[in-house]
Amino acid sequence: MRISLYLGIAACLAGMGVVLHGAILSSGDAGFIQSNPEAVSITDGGFVSEYFDLSYRVPEGWAEGLPGPPPSQSGYYVLGTWAPKGDFAGTIMVAAQDTFFEPDSSDDVKSIVAQFRQVISTVDGMTIDREPSQVSIAGRPGYRVDFSGVGLFRSMFAIEIRCHVVTFNLTTHDAELLARLAGSLDSLIPVRKETSDSVPECVRDYASENVVHRVEPQAVGTRSVSIPVRLIVAADGSVKHVHVIRASAAQARNIEDAVRQWKFKPYAGQGDPVEVETGMVFNLKPASM
Amino acid sequence: MKTITLTRAHGLAGVAAMMLGSVAWSGAAFAQGASNASTSTDAASTNAAAATTNAAAANAAGAQANNFRRGGGSGGGGGSSSGGATDPGVRGGDPGAGGPLQGLNDTELSFFAGAKDVFQEVDAVPNGLGPRFNLDSCSGCHSHPAIGGSSPPTNPQVAIATAAGAKNTLPSFITANGPVREARFVRNPDGSPDGSVHGLFVISGRTDAPGCNIKQPNFAAAVASNNVIFRIPTPLYGLGLVENVPDSALQASLAANAQQKRSLGISGHFNINGNDTTIARFGWKAQNKSLLLFSGEAYNVEMGITNDLFQTEREGDANCQFNATPESVIPLQAADLASPSASFQSDIELFSSFMRLTAPPTPASGAAAPVAQAAGAAGQTAAASTQTTGTAGQTTGTASAASTPASTASTMIASATADVSSVMTAAVGSSTAAQPASPSTSGASVTRGNQVFTNIGCQACHTQSFTTTKSQLTGQSNVTIQPFSDFAVHDMGSGLADGVTQGTANGNEFRTAPLWGVGQRIFFLHDGRTKDLNVAIQQHASRGSEANTVINNYNMLSQTDRQSIINFLRSL
Repeated sequence: MRISLYLGIAACLAGMGVVLHGAILSSGDAGFIQSNPEAVSITDGGFVSEYFDLSYRVPEGWAEGLPGPPPSQSGYYVLGTWAPKGDFAGTIMVAAQDTFFEPDSSDDVKSIVAQFRQVISTVDGMTIDREPSQVSIAGRPGYRVDFSGVGLFRSMFAIEIRCHVVTFNLTTHDAELLARLAGSLDSLIPVRKETSDSVPECVRDYASENVVHRVEPQAVGTRSVSIPVRLIVAADGSVKHVHVIRASAAQARNIEDAVRQWKFKPYAGQGDPVEVETGMVFNLKPASM
Repeated sequence: MKTITLTRAHGLAGVAAMMLGSVAWSGAAFAQGASNASTSTDAASTNAAAATTNAAAANAAGAQANNFRRGGGSGGGGGSSSGGATDPGVRGGDPGAGGPLQGLNDTELSFFAGAKDVFQEVDAVPNGLGPRFNLDSCSGCHSHPAIGGSSPPTNPQVAIATAAGAKNTLPSFITANGPVREARFVRNPDGSPDGSVHGLFVISGRTDAPGCNIKQPNFAAAVASNNVIFRIPTPLYGLGLVENVPDSALQASLAANAQQKRSLGISGHFNINGNDTTIARFGWKAQNKSLLLFSGEAYNVEMGITNDLFQTEREGDANCQFNATPESVIPLQAADLASPSASFQSDIELFSSFMRLTAPPTPASGAAAPVAQAAGAAGQTAAASTQTTGTAGQTTGTASAASTPASTASTMIASATADVSSVMTAAVGSSTAAQPASPSTSGASVTRGNQVFTNIGCQACHTQSFTTTKSQLTGQSNVTIQPFSDFAVHDMGSGLADGVTQGTANGNEFRTAPLWGVGQRIFFLHDGRTKDLNVAIQQHASRGSEANTVINNYNMLSQTDRQSIINFLRSL
């Protein structure tokens, strides 16, 4: 059933000629679309993210912009960008920050937006046009802040999904257009038909504190490297999915091969064991050291 | 070698060069004995296509801006919408660079003078030049707008190709009016990653190299197969102060304003030295941990002179070995230099000392100038950088030495000395010649440009200021410098990718280029592909670049504000 669903999604995406962003995908994992935050389908009309359970339709006449960089070592992703097909009047940039690898992970999205507002307000020539305020984004509580300077009008919307802060960053040189772009976020809707309890719970540091059987990945190359990795641990404690966020293909392969052999204490949550999603950083040493 | 006399009569065209901005190995690789710049097969393969595309881009004079939406694709429309912003060209007037740090004592000043003399020495084969090389002195490459800078307007590599009877063929990417360049091959013939520097010239045919008959690499084939990328010399001014910024300040800078950076699509990371885990910060990819390592590698890679750090000849042909190795070592007899202590230093020590003791470039008045640290900061770990505060005019205003309590160790290491309107130039398009002043580049425009530069997010990477920590040098502790770089490496996208991995910087990543002195630079970007600042800005945007959102912001500005940014940059 699930595999059919994924194959259906994949076929649909292929038919649309969309791009699946993400450098490292576990091709052998039929569930990677739903388990991989980078697996976003981008079109001129918007994007669909199974992982974040979001579908977004950009305003009429807008097209896909330049893609952003690959995921950073701190788990920052640019999920998509768009701009008008004609006059270059604005941009939309959707990004996500994995809070597992965020130094200030204790901050919730409200605090993050407040910090953002504080920093922006110190920029020479910048004005806060709308103080951080709670909004509903795709049925989820989020926060919005508007600011402007040097003739550009900008807005950031932020929501928290699966231990990521997902932001919608709107920029225009026209205040009215900014309002229309903000209105386009009303098109954000969930894409999954399954109930929300099918999404793993996300728990920081679960891997480091609850592993009962561990196999070390083989080192690759001549340098020490830190590699961020997301895991989904099944209810029985086995590893269901490994997502290496930033690494070479060889490093990712070695990590996946090793981590798939790991066993964890099942995560009880608030009752019966459930799937849990967590993150960890592998510090791979050179083979010769 | 210090036995060679600086030959002023050769002039710029005849003098040769040494330290192109990057050399082949990272500090980590060197320490670990690795010998290849590109050690990640995966990274190299990922980046090869982009890199080879850019070799062609770098070859095209006056490269045009990428389509900022789709990287040249169709259907999205667009292209540079920044029409109307004009680079006034190289700022004229006094170079304001090349001298020693302010505040040094007499002993340090004489050491600087001695180091600078050796930096300008011209070497020949008996002194170690070759067998493969790119130029024959440090200062040949690092000469504009003064000794220690970047590529001069007339490329001395053209003359050195046939100097002393040599019969080198000039590669197509070396031209009389183009930048000094080093060449790196992206891949080896077997397809494995290369990334190392391949000397442009050989000593074969020179009168001081009888019997040597090695041939130049086949650059024509490398160009034809898109297997060669280029680097131009990085300016060396102020690097001793950069060296003295603590890692903690750099880390705090990168971590600061993280949410703002994320709203712009920016992340970045440092090129970390594998052995001691500190931040490497020199070279186009921040691949060099220290100025000494920078010097030693360049001496070997750019000039072919083996030394205390790189003892082994890269070219093994027995008919081309004319000297004992290492060719440059610590002298056991004093050389004839103004400074007694400098006379007992090896060349690479003196090169690194020149870089360490040379002052940052002086901006035009109205632009950001290095300023004194606030009272009470002496002896403390430097604070995080200033990223979002103040306009250029305000910053300059704080640079008054009179406002700094004499009891502190604070030092103003450079000062604004010229009025903007008297030194900005008016050439339409970029000219390498300094041009007369232009009313369009007034102080007000420069001040506005600094504000716009900050407001649209340029400063998120081109971090304005840092404060040094304690220094061994007189008057250099706890000074605030304004390099306009975070010294981190960032993904610059397919448009600038060179496919060369160095340390933890992959083929798409480059260190944020410091912008101090950019007003007097002729060539821009790592391969010198353009002389036009506006083009250089646009080239920051391409598929996968962290700068895409900021460049989009730039392109949404009014023409006046785009021009103000250009004017601001030319004031630095």
